Amino acid sequence: MTINVQVPSMDPMPLPGPVWLMTGLLLLVFTLHVLAMNAALGGGMWTLWNYVRGKKPEHPNSRRLAEELAKMLPIFLAYTITLGVAALLFVQVLYGRFLYSSSILIGGYWIMVIPLVMLAYYGYYYVSYTAVRGKSRTGLVAALSVLCLLAIGFIFSNNMTLMLRPEVWLKMYRAHPNGFNLNLHDWELWPRYLHMMIGAVAVASALLAHLGMLKLKKDPEYGAWLVRRAAAVFAITTGIQFLDGLWLLLAVPRDVAMVFLRDPVAGTVFGLALMAVIAAVMLMVLGSMAEQPNSLVYAGVAMVVVTVFLMTGMRHLLRQAYLAPYLDPGAVVVKPQTSAIVIFFVLFVGGLATVAVMLWKLAKYRKMQGAAGAGEMTI
Amino acid sequence: MNYPDWILGFPGGMLIALIAIVHVTVSHFAIGGGAFLVVTEKRAYGKNDTAALAYVRRHSKFFALLTVVFGAVTGVGIWFTIGLVTPEATSALIHSFVWAWAIEWVFFFVEITSAIIYATSWDRLDRKSHMLVGWIYFVAAWMSLAVINGIITFMLTPGKWLQTHNIWDGLFNPTYWPSLFARTALCVLLAGVFGLVTIGKKDGEARERLVRWSGMWMLAGSILLPAFIYWYFLKLPKFSKTYISERMIYVTHALNSGYACAALIGAVTLVFALWKPRWMRVPVVVLLVVASLGLMGSGEYVREFSRKPWVVNGYMYANDIALAEVPVLQQDGVAAKANFLLTTDTKSMEYGENLFTLECGSCHAVDGYRSMRQRVKGWDAAFATQMVAHLPMTKGPMPEFAGNEADREALGKYLASLNPPVDYGTITDANRVAVGAQVFAVHCGNCHTVNGNFRPLRDAFTNSTPDQVEGLLPMLDTMSTNMPHFDAPADQAQALAVYISTEANKSLPNPPASNQPGPPPGVK
Repeated sequence: MTINVQVPSMDPMPLPGPVWLMTGLLLLVFTLHVLAMNAALGGGMWTLWNYVRGKKPEHPNSRRLAEELAKMLPIFLAYTITLGVAALLFVQVLYGRFLYSSSILIGGYWIMVIPLVMLAYYGYYYVSYTAVRGKSRTGLVAALSVLCLLAIGFIFSNNMTLMLRPEVWLKMYRAHPNGFNLNLHDWELWPRYLHMMIGAVAVASALLAHLGMLKLKKDPEYGAWLVRRAAAVFAITTGIQFLDGLWLLLAVPRDVAMVFLRDPVAGTVFGLALMAVIAAVMLMVLGSMAEQPNSLVYAGVAMVVVTVFLMTGMRHLLRQAYLAPYLDPGAVVVKPQTSAIVIFFVLFVGGLATVAVMLWKLAKYRKMQGAAGAGEMTI
Repeated sequence: MNYPDWILGFPGGMLIALIAIVHVTVSHFAIGGGAFLVVTEKRAYGKNDTAALAYVRRHSKFFALLTVVFGAVTGVGIWFTIGLVTPEATSALIHSFVWAWAIEWVFFFVEITSAIIYATSWDRLDRKSHMLVGWIYFVAAWMSLAVINGIITFMLTPGKWLQTHNIWDGLFNPTYWPSLFARTALCVLLAGVFGLVTIGKKDGEARERLVRWSGMWMLAGSILLPAFIYWYFLKLPKFSKTYISERMIYVTHALNSGYACAALIGAVTLVFALWKPRWMRVPVVVLLVVASLGLMGSGEYVREFSRKPWVVNGYMYANDIALAEVPVLQQDGVAAKANFLLTTDTKSMEYGENLFTLECGSCHAVDGYRSMRQRVKGWDAAFATQMVAHLPMTKGPMPEFAGNEADREALGKYLASLNPPVDYGTITDANRVAVGAQVFAVHCGNCHTVNGNFRPLRDAFTNSTPDQVEGLLPMLDTMSTNMPHFDAPADQAQALAVYISTEANKSLPNPPASNQPGPPPGVK
């Protein structure tokens, strides 16, 4: 990799917090963002498929699942966006000079994320309101929303790969200074995009297996059906992910990919991620294949969450390896805004507590209503 | 100069403005509307008003759909566009305020969660808990304004931050409080306006009562707003007040439309909401929503424009060049510093055009918005090159040009190429004053008037003969380093002298007060 490539210089202002802290927060909120995104996109695909399938009377479970899922989609998307904003904050402060550059190069498409996400969002609301009644357009709107999200994912993959490739920026800029560029010549783009999208289906399936487990007690037939189906889709898509992951590793330039062999931390994270995903598949398959799905499924879902977190870590280490020629950790000036950081954490805990109180109130009322309902029945 | 310049063909600020105006309108409604919902709900329970309760349930759905989706996504849209249009400024802001934004994000997170719960849990919570969720929403929403208000006001009045670079000095800057109060008044006003949207068509006593109730909110907002705006005005920097009070035609237009929209909202409130609520029909509600957008748009425009030529007052210019970078670029030239130029051939026209998009394009289009072609009419390359060195002296709020002599020449050549050379024809006694006026507009009018308000020349030239004026013309640049050299042909110089002398000796009912504005902000 040549180093006489020009990249924007560091902001003259010091970093307002320790790098480890902001990196940690970035990895945390990005993992949560990915989980929510997976639920929104993979969940949307599940909804669409089951909505279409459930139109036939012989598939009542599909119909029921589509109706239940449809109600959740806007909420998944709400948290995808909310958590994405948090990730955007920290990635800007840590990697702004790379991210702003690549965003501008694809600016014409990058800005389209906003109307696309709005369209997908309102589409999901439409689906959530109409899935039960089954309007003629419901399926079409769901498909449109999913397509919008797939397009957004593609734009994001372009930006996230392009920000790692300063050596192509100037040529690209001169080709289209109006921002209508895409990073199509990058070998890594396609496997990486597929990795995120197939991953969305896999993780959403794992979350649905979890949902199925919760349904088991009240409705064993429906619960077991959902767990088995979700676990199967999870296993299959994860299998495809293995192949795609291999393609992705081969597409990464060798000297960059070597980080997983040379660097002990990176190697460990890689190994752990591999073990976590294998464990997740085994637990999920074993738990769902039993006569009655059992708690191994829960363990499998937990391993999926661990895998996503580790994969986020790998993505971060790969980014560091790509940008190594342009990063000079010694030159980074840190001047922590300690009082603001403390206030943030206090409010963060307070915010979580507030949300917990609201959810607790909802749960308490539901319980109370259930009891009252039972009482009425006895009269 | 660090980043690629996104060449849109129009000033990128317009894109930010477009998204920001709709976002700001919806987000202020999102705050006031939150209080409106809970207070209306509480009143409905207290008075056992089933119509009001049905209304507030309906309104909460509309509220969530508009604020959680459109409001939130356009907010992200502002992030996206500022990063694309002014990456340096965005980077400076994020380095200074990432923790403020992180704090704001916590409130945003609570806000989104409580909005969703409030709108969907009418039958899943007892009344008290439901109202508690509503209040949690309102407090979180208002707190997110309280944080963001600090960053927005910082950009115009950074106050002590310029010396200390301390986050709290930046956030709690001189206009923080008046702006927060003014915005809160807007929240109250918009709660009333949008409250009308879901009021329904069915006539009757209940509808009239609800229209009046919305009207009360609009009235309260309308009464509070002017007082807080005035307080805000008092705290503005001197240069902003100058733009607002006299100099800039764009600001004057925006101010007038803002006043008109506010007056319209006030009048409609009194007549259609409070006096004859039966008359509050769909077209009137549409008019109110449009007027609200107009009010927010004008307000944001005035606030943005009165900050020009800065994006962060005293720290970074609107063209995304930091004040500290200017001397470096003037020394070394743009070609040596910029990472993303379309050409590095500093002699080429393309380079000049590139400099235009880099340094001028954030506020000027060639044609259309603040058209550059109009502004440089009559300039030849030599004169344009000189003018580029004196930008801060011009009538508009302009930054210094950040480039060396070769850059000025390239930009000057490009600017001159925008128009064909002017042909004044044969100058005769009959048309001499008229031609002189044109020569004045080209050579002097960018920075002076004769009898107007902006650096009038009247005092200097009263009792001067045309010959005396003409004698001074070759010496302009030696008289003041702020003036370009005058090198028009002799017949044009003569026409100019006759014009200035005639105008300066004209008897006027109200001669202009001698108004010599000091150097613009940031120019030492």
